[in-house]
Amino acid sequence: MSESVLVFIALNAILAYSFYAVLVAGQLSLGQAGFAALGGFTAAALAPAPSEVGDLPALLVAVVIGMVVGALAAVVLGLPTMHLRGVFLAIATLGFAEAVRILLINAEWTGGANGMSVTKVVTPVIAWVCLALVAYWFWRQGPSSYGRALAAIREDELAARAMGIDVGRHRLSAFVTAGAVAGLYGVLWAYYVRLLAPEDFDFARAIDGLVMAVVGGSTVWLGPLLGGAFMTSVPEVLRSIGVEAGWIRPFISSALLLVVIIFLPGGLGSLLPRVGARAPADLAEGGEGLAPRSGRALPSPGETVVRVSGGNKDYGGVHAVRDVDLTIASGEVVGLIGPNGAGKTTLVNMISGLVPPSSGTFEVLGTTPGRTAVHKVAQAGVSRTFQHSKLFPRLSALENVLVGAHVVSRPTFLRRLLWLPGARRDESQVVVHAARCLERAGLGDRSREDAGSLSYGDQRRLEIARALAAEPSLLILDEPAAGMNHVEADALSRLIGSLAAEGLTILLIEHNVGMVMRTCDRIVVLNFGEVIAAGTPEEIVNDPAVVEAYLGGDDATPPGTETEEVR
Amino acid sequence: MNTTVKTLALAGSLALILSACGESGDDNASGGGELAGSGSGDSCVIEAPVPVGAALSLTGAAASYGESQRKGLELAAEQLAEQEGVTYELTVEDDATDPRQGITVFEQFAEDQSVIIGPTLSNGAFQAQPIAQEAGVPVVAISNTASGITEQGDYIFRVSLTEAQVIPQTVEISKEEFGLEKVVVMYSNDDAFTESGYDVFASALEEQGVEVLDTLTFSKADTDFRALLTEARAAEPDAIVVSGLIEAAIPLVTQARELGIEVPIIGGNGFNNPQLMSETGDAAEGVVVGAAWNSASEGELNTAFLADFEEKFGHQPDQFAAQAYAGMTVIDHAVRAGCSGEREAIKENLGAVSDVETVLGTLSINADRDAEHPAVVQVVEGGSFTPLN
Amino acid sequence: MQQLLNGLFLGSIYALFAIGFTLVFGILDRLNLAHPAVFAAAAFVGIELVAVGGLSIWVALPLVAVFGAFLGLVIERVAFRPLRGRPDAHFAGLIGSIGLGGMFIALLLWRYGPDTRRFPVEAFPSTAFDLGPARVTLLQVAILVISVLLMAGLTWLVARSRLGRAMRAVAENPRAATVLGLNVDRVTATTFALSSALGAVAGALFALNVNSAQLGMGTAIELKGLAVIIVGGMGSLPGALVGGLILGLAEVFAVQYVGSSWRDLVAFGLLFLLLVVRPQGLFGSRRVREV
Repeated sequence: MSESVLVFIALNAILAYSFYAVLVAGQLSLGQAGFAALGGFTAAALAPAPSEVGDLPALLVAVVIGMVVGALAAVVLGLPTMHLRGVFLAIATLGFAEAVRILLINAEWTGGANGMSVTKVVTPVIAWVCLALVAYWFWRQGPSSYGRALAAIREDELAARAMGIDVGRHRLSAFVTAGAVAGLYGVLWAYYVRLLAPEDFDFARAIDGLVMAVVGGSTVWLGPLLGGAFMTSVPEVLRSIGVEAGWIRPFISSALLLVVIIFLPGGLGSLLPRVGARAPADLAEGGEGLAPRSGRALPSPGETVVRVSGGNKDYGGVHAVRDVDLTIASGEVVGLIGPNGAGKTTLVNMISGLVPPSSGTFEVLGTTPGRTAVHKVAQAGVSRTFQHSKLFPRLSALENVLVGAHVVSRPTFLRRLLWLPGARRDESQVVVHAARCLERAGLGDRSREDAGSLSYGDQRRLEIARALAAEPSLLILDEPAAGMNHVEADALSRLIGSLAAEGLTILLIEHNVGMVMRTCDRIVVLNFGEVIAAGTPEEIVNDPAVVEAYLGGDDATPPGTETEEVR
Repeated sequence: MNTTVKTLALAGSLALILSACGESGDDNASGGGELAGSGSGDSCVIEAPVPVGAALSLTGAAASYGESQRKGLELAAEQLAEQEGVTYELTVEDDATDPRQGITVFEQFAEDQSVIIGPTLSNGAFQAQPIAQEAGVPVVAISNTASGITEQGDYIFRVSLTEAQVIPQTVEISKEEFGLEKVVVMYSNDDAFTESGYDVFASALEEQGVEVLDTLTFSKADTDFRALLTEARAAEPDAIVVSGLIEAAIPLVTQARELGIEVPIIGGNGFNNPQLMSETGDAAEGVVVGAAWNSASEGELNTAFLADFEEKFGHQPDQFAAQAYAGMTVIDHAVRAGCSGEREAIKENLGAVSDVETVLGTLSINADRDAEHPAVVQVVEGGSFTPLN
Repeated sequence: MQQLLNGLFLGSIYALFAIGFTLVFGILDRLNLAHPAVFAAAAFVGIELVAVGGLSIWVALPLVAVFGAFLGLVIERVAFRPLRGRPDAHFAGLIGSIGLGGMFIALLLWRYGPDTRRFPVEAFPSTAFDLGPARVTLLQVAILVISVLLMAGLTWLVARSRLGRAMRAVAENPRAATVLGLNVDRVTATTFALSSALGAVAGALFALNVNSAQLGMGTAIELKGLAVIIVGGMGSLPGALVGGLILGLAEVFAVQYVGSSWRDLVAFGLLFLLLVVRPQGLFGSRRVREV
């Protein structure tokens, strides 16, 4: 393999990593060519000449400048665009990259279209060392709490928020990482090809990087390396096996790209054996993991956990929730029932901060949901499941629960980079903790399966395990027994009972009224967004308004009848 | 996906990467025979074919130039093979208009070729040619017009005239002919070739005392110039000076005429292409082109070249083809002069090329390793280029 | 005045290119990056039909549309349908269509070579009108009329026809549409065919308009097309028309008042600003989609 092929594999892989950095967080950015161009040109203009200070020192200074400029550009672009998603983010960043290219073409100091000449310093060894460092970074990032948080954001942003992950901050930091890596690429490119021209950082280059990252596999840390190697070697192989120069070569390259995409979901990286977090064989091993991890004491029994007064939610004239007053004290198990469309889910969405109320005051564990960011509410001790499962489908069951433990685990990424022993200890503790939560939910033997491939009932249980991992003070369960059979529902009742016995405050929405009756201390009934009754299970069963609401409804199910939501 | 398919795919990609590893250096084109011959000039006999590598842009944005160059080179190699004594083994490789592939191709050529031709674009030349310089392989640039190409080292030669050798003359003669006082300049500012062309135009215009009313830029990918031309029309110039490639020239000229701009349009090397007439029809009438190759030259070499090219490829050659053809003529001259196909000998004799007859006219290589030969200023009249002076 | 007209004509081409893009995105939630290749392919095929086949442009244009529709079916069948149901279908479709687009361009290179081509001069009467200080060609007027007609027809189709209702149902919820007895495969394929037919007509008209067809012509307009669908609102057909006109006018006036070097900066700056302030575009509904 010739020198340049080696270097270009490394450079292309680094470019691919700059896309990987954001793809792992589910962001599609095409601004990397712009970051690379800014980094490369600034470094080439500001760094001392290799002839004056020597090759390596000059390159090092240039790399630092390039990475800093790339990262700064990412901050500047990231702040106004972080609220954009998907294609919108892609096109906004693309617009930025094109704007950068036009600025560079029109600027005097860059030499315009004729570019800037730069001394060649980069050798295959330097390129591969840089690649190794970048790959190392992402290898250590993957299974850290930070890496899992990014994966969670990619899989389901809303659920990630509800697990206490500060999505904005995480997305921005992923973006900045991409900017720094792209800046590195720009500098290495400049110091290898000798002539730095704006046209080398155009839309096509951004597409190149994206293609390599996706072909390699955007969820596997070695993916960008594989993608870079693959896309770089295809033209070389075609050349060396004597395919005639001309149309046939781009034709074959494009066809190969299509074939890989169609027949290898997950890219070339999916060919590698997958290593995920592994549950410890014996849960008793890490005994010290027994202690509460949050350092956050449960509120003392009887203390007010939730106070809602005059809670309202309008959706364009439709009153989903109106004038609801609700107080929940610590240690209570409160059931929330009502016919479909009564506003139960809207109410808990407001309590957990996912939906801002139209009016009314909400106080939950010292926070003000609606005004306090969702992740802050979660960090205060609110954890929940969702009516329609919002798991992270491409993460294993154990990894899902590990994300749940985000608010009670210490950040490990930086320590993992340096192989500090504390990181490993923290990681294994949190894994033991997560495995116990799985075990409690009855999923001990499913820990390595992808959440998306679990049965419906198992998915419901996994949501509960994930919510438990956050060691919440207030646990909100939105129809946890939906789709479960009697045996499973009974097991769930027992689990809720034992959690309550530990002093957890629980708010339970459930259609299985029998279960609600058995488990709850107090029941609140909603109909058409209003509280029509509240009291002990006995009071509720005998309340005429409740009976009326249920019998009058479309799919009326009078309380006291065992029922299962069939989906 | 089942395991078999996965294994197959894995094996496939491994094979791909492995074969990429094992590709270099085994097919040495000079294999067997001796590159040093006996005799000199026309009587020179070299046993082995002289390996010539051409790195051209056959696909990607610059494909149309690369394709012309390939045709010019192939015709030349074929005709040179008919002469006694020396044959050339021409390897044409594609750099896909991508600096990454350009560098890789040059690296491969540096291993086994006696002389390298190319690459097509000037930016690519700055990126790839130093590799040949370091490896001690002579390079003949056949289309690069930017300044500084041959300053990269003593192994780098070129047969294409720089803009500085063509454009001042174009401006001077146009000024005399049309009495130019004020012009509008248009150029694509995201292309190295056209931007350096613009620089020379600007200084030549200043030197000749022609006022520049407005300078308009466009992108090399643009094809709709109506907005720019409307601006240009409003300035009421005596002529519009354009530094652009043929892709821009065709729509630009057509749209200018369509908008009622009847003043002369003056272009540089990029306009010297028979497509200008074949693709714009009457609109091209009155377009002035300063160029390195006089396609209308009655010289024996040129008329033969036009006929042979037309016969082989079914269409007229452009300047890229002519310069490529001339490049091979110059290389052949250098090889025969020293009667050796070895790198050092070719390098020495390329430096000594003087008064060689080519399709571009009588060509010499000067002390800066740049070509010197007559440039021409042509105007389109009756559907073909005719000399303006 | 002339500049206003220039912007209008330029914008109508952008719009015509962009509606194909936005149709597939609006209904199927997929970005089809083979669209630029269809644009270029149609121009070359159209030129061959007229120059070699000797057809009139009015016969060639419908044929080009049919050819485009065929390419659309190929794109859907090869690059999108196999990916359905995959969690990464968005990315994979994006990349897959890049691959297929690359194959189309390579085939064009093989068939037609790398040179610039154009419609024969006599393909369209070169009549021009002088409107005061401005000059307009018959061709430009024809292009504007065709664009508006196609756009109106398409809007009607999506809003009123049975096919349109089926398309919207699929857009809303493919699973529910299946339950309702709609043939989702067929609706999807039809959408691609329609989108590519429009892209193809746009390509041929564009080549006529600027008197040149190049392999890279689709890529050159691709970024503008993306900008147009964002400005107009993702998936909105009238948005694509208005977005195209806004972009066309912005570019033309940037040349006149800011300077030609900054033309594209104005266009992309506008796009960027709009995305930050009003991400759903001028006509888009506030529906956030993930790729």
